[in-house]
Amino acid sequence: MSTPAAPDPRLSGPGTDHPAPDVAEPAPPSDVPPDSPEAAPVVPGAPVVKQTERPHPLTPFIRGWLVLVAIAVTWSRELVPDGSGDGFDASDLAILVPLAGAVVLLAGVVGFLSWYFTRFVIDADELRLETGAVFKSSKRVSFERLQSVDIIQPFAARIFGLAELRIEVGAGDSTLRLRYLSRAKASQLREYLLARAQGRRSRPDDPDLALPASAFTDRSAADRALVTVSPQRLVLSFLASTEWLVTAGITLAVLIVTGVFDVTAYALPGLIPLVVGTVSVVGRRVFAMFNFTLSESPRGLRVTRGLTNLTSQSVPVDRIQGVRTAQPLLWRPFGWYRVDVDIVGYASSDGQNNESAATSVLLPVATRAEVDLALDRVLPGVRLDAVEMRPSPRRARWVAWFDFWTLRHGWDARVLVTEHGWLTRVQDVLPHAKTQSVRIEQGPLQRRLRLADVHCDTPRGPVNVVAQQLDVAVARELAMSQLDRAREARVADREALARAATIPDERFGEDEVLAQFGTSRDRLLGAGSESEVFALDEHRVLRLYRGRHEAPQQTAGQLQALYRHWSGVDIGLEVPLTLQTGELAGRTWAVDRRFSGRTLSGWLAEAGPAERRPALLSLLDAAVAVSRLPSPVPGWARLVGTDAPQAYGSLPELANAMLAGPVARSRPHLQADLPDVAAVWDRLQADLAARRVTPTLVHGDICPPNAFVSLGPAGPVVTGLGDFSPHTVHGDPVADLVGATAFLELEGYDGAAEDAAWLTDVAVQRYGASPVADGDLRRWLGVYRRFYGFYFSDSAGFDPGLYAWCLRQLRS
Amino acid sequence: MDDLFAPPAYAWQRLSPAYRSLRRLTTALVAPILFSIPALVLGLVFELWWVSLSLWAVAALIVGLRWSLIERTWRSWGYVEREDDLYITHGVVFRSLVAVPYGRMQLVEVASGPLERAFGLATVSLKTASPETNATIPGLPPEEAARLRDRLTELGEAHASGL
Repeated sequence: MSTPAAPDPRLSGPGTDHPAPDVAEPAPPSDVPPDSPEAAPVVPGAPVVKQTERPHPLTPFIRGWLVLVAIAVTWSRELVPDGSGDGFDASDLAILVPLAGAVVLLAGVVGFLSWYFTRFVIDADELRLETGAVFKSSKRVSFERLQSVDIIQPFAARIFGLAELRIEVGAGDSTLRLRYLSRAKASQLREYLLARAQGRRSRPDDPDLALPASAFTDRSAADRALVTVSPQRLVLSFLASTEWLVTAGITLAVLIVTGVFDVTAYALPGLIPLVVGTVSVVGRRVFAMFNFTLSESPRGLRVTRGLTNLTSQSVPVDRIQGVRTAQPLLWRPFGWYRVDVDIVGYASSDGQNNESAATSVLLPVATRAEVDLALDRVLPGVRLDAVEMRPSPRRARWVAWFDFWTLRHGWDARVLVTEHGWLTRVQDVLPHAKTQSVRIEQGPLQRRLRLADVHCDTPRGPVNVVAQQLDVAVARELAMSQLDRAREARVADREALARAATIPDERFGEDEVLAQFGTSRDRLLGAGSESEVFALDEHRVLRLYRGRHEAPQQTAGQLQALYRHWSGVDIGLEVPLTLQTGELAGRTWAVDRRFSGRTLSGWLAEAGPAERRPALLSLLDAAVAVSRLPSPVPGWARLVGTDAPQAYGSLPELANAMLAGPVARSRPHLQADLPDVAAVWDRLQADLAARRVTPTLVHGDICPPNAFVSLGPAGPVVTGLGDFSPHTVHGDPVADLVGATAFLELEGYDGAAEDAAWLTDVAVQRYGASPVADGDLRRWLGVYRRFYGFYFSDSAGFDPGLYAWCLRQLRS
Repeated sequence: MDDLFAPPAYAWQRLSPAYRSLRRLTTALVAPILFSIPALVLGLVFELWWVSLSLWAVAALIVGLRWSLIERTWRSWGYVEREDDLYITHGVVFRSLVAVPYGRMQLVEVASGPLERAFGLATVSLKTASPETNATIPGLPPEEAARLRDRLTELGEAHASGL
């Protein structure tokens, strides 16, 4: 055959940034191995030519071998005497053997060419597969569209330690198959692709991905077996399955009947397909499911199975479209169930799983406890036994006379459940978000009985969610409410996805900035909602503002000015000093003076109860000391933020300006969790209007993570206060007293709540008579607890613990 | 039409009256032509004209039955675009109502065969990941079909969510 020599740009396909591989490498492959570094010369300025790889060189032999096996199988079928009388003699062999040899040789040549022209790229940017000698095709797949990645080892490939990587791409697309790779390579690529499919940044050469896999179980070291099906149980369950009993029963009946009439020889041709059918059922149900193990890996669930052909399949939990649990009649005494799932691309209906292909079987046979364990992984948090099931009306017996008493349906916040069947009890579960469309169907007989079916459509697969024979009003209500539930679930899913997608963006450009400053992630000192802090040297730290921060440059500039304003003032406490700010790779950074000591939060977690209270007293002192810092603006004012410095006429004006943003964001949560939120809000407004106090500088977020503790002459004391931020204002000093006391409740150590109560008492004793107290310090501490309850109430999404604290403040 | 198949708080959009004419034409042609072939063969070759006659009688019966249902079938079709989903209903004997959320549409197709074009009609069909979703609206004027396609594609993109 002729080699395609002319470069044809159409063949490269859109989006490929390099010419067809045979053009890229004019030299024969014997001179330049495909994966040698010379294959990808790096010329500065030139477009990067990607290094492509070929599958393992043994591939053609294995494919030739498979053809040989296929021939042998067909041939051996011919050898079976079929009663037609024409015998088999040696002269046939003289023709058949060379013929078979020629076919095998041809298959080998085709296999070689197909191997030679198959190339793939799996790297940080793309997954691309190029195939075909004459008709070239180039498939490029975005990582987000990957549905699942499986490793399949036919017997021949298994002998040579090779494996096929099978990549499901999603609805309407064919499967990508990489035949054959070495086991280690296949396993590493799978881990990488699965990591990318889940939206994680990773690199193919990430050492984490190279998990050693055992040759017999294909379980990586990090996998944990959830359910293992023993061979005895598999065989016994097979013998008790309806499928087997029917086929075996018919075969037996035919044998007996023909035996009685002594005509077995004539019936043989008819029996052979029956036996072949029976054997293939055994193959599907027993050999293919042999050694079935469902395990949990760091990248999701995994199924490994097979006696001769080994299959290792990933089960992408978030792509499961539905779950079906079935129990044939004879499995009931054993308490066994079979579990199937719908996954797009595994287009096998009703268990037509051949031996090596990917399967929809999650558990071929399992006890109730094992089923519950698996369902807990597949549908976390869903309690199927708690779903209230509603039966179909009795008049359904006129239409569904064979199973009307088994028809049930029900739903909860997460899933819709339907049940039917008596010979085989079937339960179908559909997560609301996976509903494709909803149908109401009604036939003429149903119409007279005022019954209807509600179908919730799912992609092709074993799961079939139909609520059968409902009363028309119930059917209508179910269909409409299911549409609402599906919409809400989709919105929730989309929001969750959007939140997950912002996480990699957070890290955008970070490596570059850290490298520029000669530091790394290992030297992370602390992280807050606004920035992360990395150590530079003994005296300096790098503060990297988060990518989602609204106006990081402005904030950094305002803080730098504020710190400079305080640089000549000694309040007996270290305050921050910004040495330099700037922007690099789209991220705002600041170099700050490093505090001595360590954060109070970290120290509290380790300190003994006796040491803690003296240190906490010094935190109270620090909170008071901060109020002595000079403000650049007189009167009530915000000092840091988009419009800062911004002056306000009164305390309520300042407080409401601070609360406006958070409360606007948290309003739906608060209204749901706190029915009398309006009354709490009005009370806070009245309290703030009654407050008489002179404004001082307020840190706004004095909490143990922002305080630094060092060893003083009398034990550990708070020596520094960092992280001034948009919370910093010229306002009511009692706010910082609340910060120093009430925020202790958010610390995780034992006795934090008692310490907070004790410190509050100390504060009341010490400052109860000062002008700040305005007559009743306890009252104002309570008012500012509620203020912070509103101020931090938009934390429901990212810090449920803080949100719960806020609710407690607002309820008291 | 009873409450079971009504859309919530909206009125159905109906098919073009030309669809009725198209159905009348196909009804009048298809069964007689299909039955005439064996009838003529039997009559001309085998001289079994009485069989041919009974075949034609059956054809006439089918045409009559279908003809009587055309008006009701045409009237049974309806669709409505809501904020989040498209509702389609049809069927006289076997009735169905399908609701397809815009976020689940994978493909919107407009097709128009030669006969449909002659009547100024087009068919819009929606595809989701499920092969069971049977959402096809026949007999729309081409401009309405194009508008529906563009509108649905736009809504589909706005509501799109992963599988």
